[in-house]
Amino acid sequence: MSKVRIAQLSCGPEYSGVQKEIDTAAAAVDAEIFFPDLKLADLRQSFDEFGLNVRSPDLKLAIARAKALVEGRVEADAVFIATCFRCAEAAIVRNELRRYIHENSSLPVVSYSFTERTTSGTLLTRMEALTTIARRRALLAREVQQGLTMGIDSGSSTTKAVVMRDNKIIGTGWLPTTAVIESADEAIRRAITEAGVSRDEIEAVGTTGYGRFLVGEHVKANLIQEELTVNSKGAVFLADSQRGPSTVIDIGGMDNKAISVQDGIPGTFTMGGICAGASGRFLEMTSKRLGVDITELGPLAMKGLSRKVPMNSYCIVFGTQSLVNALAAGSSPEDVAAAACHSVAEQVFEQQLQEVDIKEPVIMVGGTSLIQGLVRAMEELLQTKILVPHHAQYIGAVGSALLASGFIKGD
Amino acid sequence: MSTYSPRYAGTVTKYIFVESPSMTPSDLAIRAYEISQGVMIKETCFGLQVTGKEDEVNRIIDSLRALDPTHIFVKDRGFPPGDPRRCRANLGGARPGYFGHEFEIGLIRRISKGLEALPSRSPEAAPHPPAPTSVKRLDASRLQEIIDSQES
Amino acid sequence: MAKVFLYPTTSLILSDLVARFGHTPLSAALQIRERIQTPGLESPPLQITPEGPKKGLRWAAVEVPSGVRGRMSLYGPMIEDAEAAIIINNADYSFGCMGCARTNELINFLIRKKNIPLLDLEYPSNDEEGVEFVAAIKRFLDGLSGEVA
Repeated sequence: MSKVRIAQLSCGPEYSGVQKEIDTAAAAVDAEIFFPDLKLADLRQSFDEFGLNVRSPDLKLAIARAKALVEGRVEADAVFIATCFRCAEAAIVRNELRRYIHENSSLPVVSYSFTERTTSGTLLTRMEALTTIARRRALLAREVQQGLTMGIDSGSSTTKAVVMRDNKIIGTGWLPTTAVIESADEAIRRAITEAGVSRDEIEAVGTTGYGRFLVGEHVKANLIQEELTVNSKGAVFLADSQRGPSTVIDIGGMDNKAISVQDGIPGTFTMGGICAGASGRFLEMTSKRLGVDITELGPLAMKGLSRKVPMNSYCIVFGTQSLVNALAAGSSPEDVAAAACHSVAEQVFEQQLQEVDIKEPVIMVGGTSLIQGLVRAMEELLQTKILVPHHAQYIGAVGSALLASGFIKGD
Repeated sequence: MSTYSPRYAGTVTKYIFVESPSMTPSDLAIRAYEISQGVMIKETCFGLQVTGKEDEVNRIIDSLRALDPTHIFVKDRGFPPGDPRRCRANLGGARPGYFGHEFEIGLIRRISKGLEALPSRSPEAAPHPPAPTSVKRLDASRLQEIIDSQES
Repeated sequence: MAKVFLYPTTSLILSDLVARFGHTPLSAALQIRERIQTPGLESPPLQITPEGPKKGLRWAAVEVPSGVRGRMSLYGPMIEDAEAAIIINNADYSFGCMGCARTNELINFLIRKKNIPLLDLEYPSNDEEGVEFVAAIKRFLDGLSGEVA
């Protein structure tokens, strides 16, 4: 298999000591980074034509290189845009180039703002998704599940398994992740029991999620794939929105994904995972504080008003403190539940959704999409109706089972 | 992170650019090889890169400069020649610094003109660059008059 | 012989003229060479490791982007060494080491704050300006020989 060639458009990584991290992440998924070649005259002309008159020469160069890619003067399989975190000038260029490439080419693109602490591990899933989109377009084009297949989503909080036959879900299994392999085995057992099939009958298996490699090896999976492409696929399948644009939002236990999807294939995406306050964990902590099960938090929040509870911080520690103070001051559990949902939604909105173009339908997936209060808070922020498909919590497993059917022998 | 052991430690590399009507980069290279005495010479599209101990590199540069002093230009380089970290073949495209050279080479004949003309002018006659001009903006009261005249 | 800071620090023209007229150009290449020739942890292409931006904290606060601080770890020591400076004010197409406008604004400010002899220029746009450009640099550098021991 030839290497996937990823064009890098950047300002600052060599001076931040992180270029090697970018190269390493690309090499880990059998891709290589390259810098589109230009002449100075082309550079000046392209920069002038693009019309975003920034001052930093390296950003001018990035703009000219993006234009060379879009106009087909330089060939690439994917694009990686990287600039310094906290640079306003670069953030404007990063966003505009991402949008420009997405709208004017079929090149998958991911953007990232780094610090000197960025490691190749942080970049790996993004690079893997980029290469998957570039390398497996034919596989990702699959819209119908065939035969008898299984998908396993080994997430950081929960493990999910789904058995599908002839484009229908016939068995599901779900449990909190403890030991990765044991949790997967139990989820599989539950799914095949419900489906009424035996393990041997299953024709192909796909794994995704945080534990995909470990579980994939354990179950001898036909397809081991990161969750960005798999979840996009699962989302548009379940939401019956396989053609045209859509936006997938997945607030997970450890990281969040916002994916701008076209015909079931991610075009641009962001992944955030630094702050627990913007994750499902925050809602788990809140439900514990309120003494309710996580499944009850959503209905509770639907009865409350978030603005009645002052939240001083998005932080999982200080934000929880605000909620505790509000309870002590007499706020109702309903209002506190609503405030917690609003806090998570607002942080995802401010920090991640700004980096993808929101196009309808907006599909929320993952376990947190079952918390109605969170979905409502996001709807209010986005000013749009959000679709939560049936089986939304099984999105990764469904996407895996669907894509795995491409590996059935004779297919 | 793996450990890094430098190659060519203790050497210097200098670029020699030639932009001359009477000398090509390969002419320059031939002259350089004649006097190289083991110093590494690499021919490039714009001239040469010379790598070695500093005094040896300077000796070669002094000799080469004398061939066409107003059309040969010299600059230090951080990397040894052909270093894979900077090489176009490895990066896919030119390293960023290349465009800066391309820009300056585009106007360097004006510097050559300056170097040629200067000795023939007396120090007093050597021109001063014009002082930066400040753009005079329209007086606000005059603008008001114009607006008023348009409205009436 | 004075140590002359160049702006852009990557300029072939300035580096050549300063050396040609008998002074020491402080070129970015010297800082890069020092890193390329020093053993340590591997961090291609420039051997600026994540320690670079931390060293840059001496010149720019932690809220300043890492690329600015990393570049300042190259330029800070050069500015401290500088005994004179020549600045080309319309150097809009200098990339890489001079690729960040925010860093360039900061080094421009810091070098001016030093109160050392300083020459402001623009790239020549015709032959006569070329003569003026070279003459101005020669006059400036000749003047330094008296001022700087």
